Amino acid sequence: MAQAMRPQMMGARVSRVEDPRLLSGQARFLDDIQVPGMLEVAFVRSPHAAARIRGIHTEKAVQYPGVHAVLTHQECSVLLWERDTYKVGQPVLANGEVCYVGQPVVAIVAENRYVAEDAAELVVVEYEPVTPVLDMRESILEQPRRVHPEAENVFFHKKYATPGFDEAFAKAPHHLTASFRTNRQTAVSMEPRGTAAMVDAASGRVTVYASTQSPHRMREDISHLMEIPEHLVRVIVPEVGGGFGMKANCYPEDIVVVAAALKYKKPVKWVSDRMESLETDVHARDDIHDVEVAFDGDGKIIAIRDHLMADGGAYPAYPFSGAVGETSLASRVLTGPYDIPHLATEIHCTYSNKTPLGAYRGVWGPIASFIQEGVVDRVARHLGLDSAEVRRRNMIRPGQFPYRNAAGMVYDEGSYLQSMEEALTLIGYEGFRARQAKLREEGRYLGIGISVFVEPTAMASSEAGSVGYESCTIRIEPSGKVTAALGLGPSGQGHETTMAQIIADQLGVRFEDIVILHGDTDSAPFGGGTGGSRSGPIGGGAALVAGRQMRERLVKYAASLLEAGEEDIELGNGQAWVAGVPDRSIAIRTIAETAYTNVRKIPEGLPIGLELTARYLPKRPVTFSNGTHIAEVEVDIHTGVVEVTRYAVVNDCGTLINPTIVEGQIHGGVAQGIGSAILEALHYDEDGQLVTTSLLDYLLPESTDVPRIDVRHLETPSEGEGGIKGMGEGSLIAAPAAIVNAISDALTPFDGMVDTLPVTPPMVLQMVSGGRTR
Amino acid sequence: MKPAVFQYRKAETTREALEALGTNPGAKVLAGGQSLVPLMNFRLSRPDVLVDINGIEELTLVEKLDQTLAIGALVRHSTLSQHPLIEREVPVLAEAARHIGHWAIRNRGTIGGSAVHADPAAELPAALVALRASVVVGAPRGERTMPADEFFLGYYTTALAQDELVMRFEIPLPARRMGFSEVVRRPGDFALVGAYVEDSDAEAAVTWFGLGAMPERQVVEAWPKGQDERQALLERLAREVQSDDEYKYAMAVNVAERAYLAAQKEG
Ligand SMILES: Cc1cc2nc3c(=O)[nH]c(=O)nc-3n(C[C@H](O)[C@H](O)[C@H](O)COP(=O)(O)OP(=O)(O)OC[C@H]3O[C@@H](n4cnc5c(N)ncnc54)[C@H](O)[C@@H]3O)c2cc1C
Repeated sequence: MAQAMRPQMMGARVSRVEDPRLLSGQARFLDDIQVPGMLEVAFVRSPHAAARIRGIHTEKAVQYPGVHAVLTHQECSVLLWERDTYKVGQPVLANGEVCYVGQPVVAIVAENRYVAEDAAELVVVEYEPVTPVLDMRESILEQPRRVHPEAENVFFHKKYATPGFDEAFAKAPHHLTASFRTNRQTAVSMEPRGTAAMVDAASGRVTVYASTQSPHRMREDISHLMEIPEHLVRVIVPEVGGGFGMKANCYPEDIVVVAAALKYKKPVKWVSDRMESLETDVHARDDIHDVEVAFDGDGKIIAIRDHLMADGGAYPAYPFSGAVGETSLASRVLTGPYDIPHLATEIHCTYSNKTPLGAYRGVWGPIASFIQEGVVDRVARHLGLDSAEVRRRNMIRPGQFPYRNAAGMVYDEGSYLQSMEEALTLIGYEGFRARQAKLREEGRYLGIGISVFVEPTAMASSEAGSVGYESCTIRIEPSGKVTAALGLGPSGQGHETTMAQIIADQLGVRFEDIVILHGDTDSAPFGGGTGGSRSGPIGGGAALVAGRQMRERLVKYAASLLEAGEEDIELGNGQAWVAGVPDRSIAIRTIAETAYTNVRKIPEGLPIGLELTARYLPKRPVTFSNGTHIAEVEVDIHTGVVEVTRYAVVNDCGTLINPTIVEGQIHGGVAQGIGSAILEALHYDEDGQLVTTSLLDYLLPESTDVPRIDVRHLETPSEGEGGIKGMGEGSLIAAPAAIVNAISDALTPFDGMVDTLPVTPPMVLQMVSGGRTR
Repeated sequence: MKPAVFQYRKAETTREALEALGTNPGAKVLAGGQSLVPLMNFRLSRPDVLVDINGIEELTLVEKLDQTLAIGALVRHSTLSQHPLIEREVPVLAEAARHIGHWAIRNRGTIGGSAVHADPAAELPAALVALRASVVVGAPRGERTMPADEFFLGYYTTALAQDELVMRFEIPLPARRMGFSEVVRRPGDFALVGAYVEDSDAEAAVTWFGLGAMPERQVVEAWPKGQDERQALLERLAREVQSDDEYKYAMAVNVAERAYLAAQKEG
């Protein structure tokens, strides 16, 4: 009975255990780590997009009071190079040349950051500028030159076509072409990057505090690049104030900090400032898609041809290039939730003299959705059909799962059509058209935009690496309270809450009696970390499997100690009892006592103690979440300013662990989607200077830019443990497309259709005046 | 992003402030710090000495004198936006102040700092020009007064000498009635372009900001009543101002039209 009284934690709106410390300023971030004698680093960075280095003069900096050491490539010559995949790698400190503005050239290690920055100004680097490579289409043609003489500018090239593509394409009655452009963005986590390293004099081990998403990957990278065996490296990830894929890499600064700590046997720290963050955090979304579409008179899309290009920046970010991630994955889900039989893609990823491209939440997704949903709206407008109706006609039907798309990706069951119909109802699509027509007469331009998305989650390989599984250690302490550790690297997702919810249900202990550890490679079992929307389904799956195994052990104990059959034992509220006989019960605390101290009473066949580690590798290489976003916007045609006025989301991420947390993820993603759609762009000038180096120029969405968001959930369980699907990225995958489609819809009277992200006021004015003169 | 080394001096009186400025050629005034401190952190500004004027009482006054409203240099944007005297005598100034940044910035930023910083897209410098205000400047040599439109010289440039201190602004009363409008990408941003339009018995005029290198005030005989004619005139006026961005002209006309309509309501 007691079991029924306690609500199941899975699916409950549990308040996040992280929030009290975060909201009261008690959380400990990387910059809060203070160790006596700690030195701080400032970098001298390249002011040129491309230049040869003729000399580096550090004498004055070395002599500056408070400076401990000055490092150049000579003192720290590690190369961030993924040899198997790429022909080039970035030296952590520039070696004879610089290839992008902001590239680290010299590191100053000083008693504090003020002194380090003073000394950095005293370093003289003699540069001989060379012509920068800045344009993707030119770079493909090796123009104006090669970025790296030893490697072609195109570092990734791939072609794919479904059999019979050309014939199907040619035979179709209608065709249209469009070119889509996304502009560079970066994650702009609230807490910037940072690393601190210190050597333990006694053991010789090095402890690295890192603001990263993958603790074990960071350990592996440091160990591999610096040739220190893994057991001598401990990575601790403190509270992380946002990662969004940007903190999934190992950066030059990470290595320099560790190298300095090892070399000088001093604790050393570097924390990025906002300018460094905009210049040197991996950039993302620098893509062009030249698209051709073939369709019939009913709006049924028959074939899509896409030439995908991405500017990977000066080097492949270590250990993976975002350009490859953005394009190769986009090419595999370009057909989204639609049943489009034919697809032909060609990919070119190129080097340039810009900051390396990496991952940003959604990676390929926001780009692919922008194209896929832009294509559907263009087909609808071309034929004069309602865009929701064209979606209906193309949508994958419920009976078609598991569905193999034209690129060969297999979708597990989802609620595509249902999510769209419910979202249309939620936003009031029917009534909208009348309101739109009426307001247009008053000179007000409202628009509505639909974005139906698929979100591949929990992929065997993602920016979190190719560790396709996750691990969870559960230890029931002698007190009966629970400590569980996972290899995840949360940066605000609330894993301490969701993982405890899952484990509480399995062990029948109170949620409050569970502590979740993560982010310390000395305590957490090996895992892939957080990224690619894998923590819920894979991490949660591991917690579930470990919990279940521990539950079996508890049941065996209880059955033995209560002298009952295992099948009759129930768990809940920190107790085990015989079903129907609540008096015959034993506290889990007592079981734990037995397991650790009264070991003679341990049932036969069970080990001493209550501790185990389980690993979970999902059977499917990927599980697809889905949903529909609908945005309503108002466009001021006189100023070009766009306001997102209403927003509806129907989201399906399988079985929910915690709806409140899912909604928080959606709210954040929609906010970032508004940034992607109308505000955020990193802009390089014709010399390759990044001109958006502060938040005065790089515009982020603020609370006033985000409307109230109506969210509804659907639950189509995955076939994996717990029925969980990932959902960290879907909201940002869907949102930009919904918003720009709404802008296009608003500008229908001017024939305008958005083809570039973000849409700026001058672009809107251009579309308005262009349409007028036509 | 740490400032270069500097010394800090707290001035209790304008005399102390002027003395500190006069004896240190590398000294700069610290008012609200909302523009200066970011510049120092970028090391784009590197004063040897910061002269903090935040404790100087007389710079915080808002007073109605005979023919003028005097506003001390240290009056915060949030005070401008709420002060009953300003609300009554120069409502457009209160309205403009409400469009500056966010609460935290308005609570620190000052009208004197905004004027001396002279961002071409800032609301207040243009308001001072539009209202035909005077700038009263203190110097070791004594006070001098100049019209606002002679104070602003270009991008982030004013007629203020290094050793001078802006004391107050004097707005002639009754203040001219005018409408205000601006285009921002996000609420609280600096304007892409903005305008004050006056349509009073005294004069018909437009003052642009965010369009050229500094606030630009243009006087016309009268605003045409017909919208097309009026917009054509506004377009002609806007194009007399040198702007880096072609798209701003279209925006400027629309913004000025909105300011004109607001001015009619002010009427
Ligand atoms: C996020 C953000 C958003 C903002 N948005 C806007 C906006 O939308 N519109 C807008 O107009 N402004 C905006 N600002 C700027 C803000 O209005 C500043 O407060 C103002 O520009 C400068 O005022 P201050 O008192 O802070 O001056 P400070 O930063 O202290 O000083 C600025 C300059 O003026 C000098 N100075 C200051 N007072 C005097 C004086 N009495 N005599 C001589 N010299 C003096 C200083 O030496 C310095 O050179 C924004 C600022 C921030 C940080």
